[in-house]
Amino acid sequence: MRGRTALVIGLTVVIAIVIQTTLFGRLRIVTPDLVMLIGILLALTRVRTEAVLGVAFLSGLIMDLLGASLIGLRAVVYTTVAFIAVRTKERAELGRVTIAIWAGVLTLVGVVLLILIGTLFGEVSLLGEDAVSRMILVPLANLAVAGLLAPTFVRLVDRDRTALRYP
Amino acid sequence: MLTSKRTDRALPTFITLLVVGVLLMTFDVRLEGGGVVGVLRSGTQAIVSPLQRLAAYAVTPVANALDSLSNVASLREQNAVLSAELAAAQASLVAVQDQLARLELLEQIYELGTDEEVVGRTIANVIGAVDAALIIDKGTNDGVVAGQPVIDTNGYVVGTVRSASTGSATVLPITATREGLTVLVGSQTGTLVSRAFSSDLGLEMDLDIFDAREPVLAGDRVLTSAASTNYPAGLPVGEVIEDASPESTSLATTVRPFVDTESLRFVVVLAWPPDPVTAVTDDTVPEEETTTTTLDEGASTTTVPEEDG
Repeated sequence: MRGRTALVIGLTVVIAIVIQTTLFGRLRIVTPDLVMLIGILLALTRVRTEAVLGVAFLSGLIMDLLGASLIGLRAVVYTTVAFIAVRTKERAELGRVTIAIWAGVLTLVGVVLLILIGTLFGEVSLLGEDAVSRMILVPLANLAVAGLLAPTFVRLVDRDRTALRYP
Repeated sequence: MLTSKRTDRALPTFITLLVVGVLLMTFDVRLEGGGVVGVLRSGTQAIVSPLQRLAAYAVTPVANALDSLSNVASLREQNAVLSAELAAAQASLVAVQDQLARLELLEQIYELGTDEEVVGRTIANVIGAVDAALIIDKGTNDGVVAGQPVIDTNGYVVGTVRSASTGSATVLPITATREGLTVLVGSQTGTLVSRAFSSDLGLEMDLDIFDAREPVLAGDRVLTSAASTNYPAGLPVGEVIEDASPESTSLATTVRPFVDTESLRFVVVLAWPPDPVTAVTDDTVPEEETTTTTLDEGASTTTVPEEDG
């Protein structure tokens, strides 16, 4: 991963964390998980797979440290989602809509994993009282955000204006 | 930028990170949020909090505007606000009575000569949230430390400070903590437990009174007990929403907390106990007036009998 690419990814992660913990922390009706989404969308770029997993792990760890949930919980979940994303990205690169749906499905997997692993460690409340509704809203929100921003994000990271352009 | 040839290392990397993650979770559970974990949390908060504060300047007006819009759109919301104000007024009335009793109790415990002991208060803005936890813009520089109780501007219990850095702190609401809260309903002491850790998720909390002598009725106020190690006595927590009668010697019912953490904009951090060292080591309390109790919060403390709280 070159320096500029690392800088772009680092800045994007920091911005996503700040937005996630402030704006979306206040407006709980609109609930995308931007940090998880970055791990997913990075799989679409030409960044090395190990780096994608590392970024997902570190960004999840930072979210764990900022919140009150178990340290490592989000790190494990985001890494798992990023790994699935890396393994399945070929199926998503058919068009903007498929990328959005793919991102939404992966987010759903992530949210379910959060609840499952959280339950094992006694952290069921990590999504708040309305966990069930968030299992629906978070993937839908990520689906929408991915549909809007995925191509731009990939072009920015890869510095390739032709990336993810569909007829 | 390499792609296909190096993806073979994806699986080992993935497994390594998973193992590290599980180890971190295990350490966190074993250390109960303290030690290195606490330092890591504080350090991360110290780094990110300036950015969060900066973002809050832009976010707060937007969030407030959307809140206002939703209030205009819904008369039910306005009704709820008015109901909350009425409850606040009632709470203030009861709080004064509770405060008097609490001061008398503290005077007995600490052998204070006067009633001039005032619990320090730090008003903080809620600048964000992660999961159920709230992030506030006051930290150790403002006297906020982990473990301090947090209330809202009406005096209702919100939760406790989970961790604090120099410029921010994380507050864990009572609805999101696995620890039981020792409370008082009428003259009976019980334990309030979050439903987040039962199969029935919801805004309500479960109240268990193991030494029930009389029924509790819907509308009964639930206050923090003097037996609680985490909160001053007499702070309003919520109200009972279901009538319940003792079965054998125990009683179980449901409580709705007064505080809606999602709508909180300001909170008040209490510097309590006023002198933790003295509170722990004070051996001046006459032995015959005390009982030693193992509390639900997982700590053992020395208190006066319940009827005094």
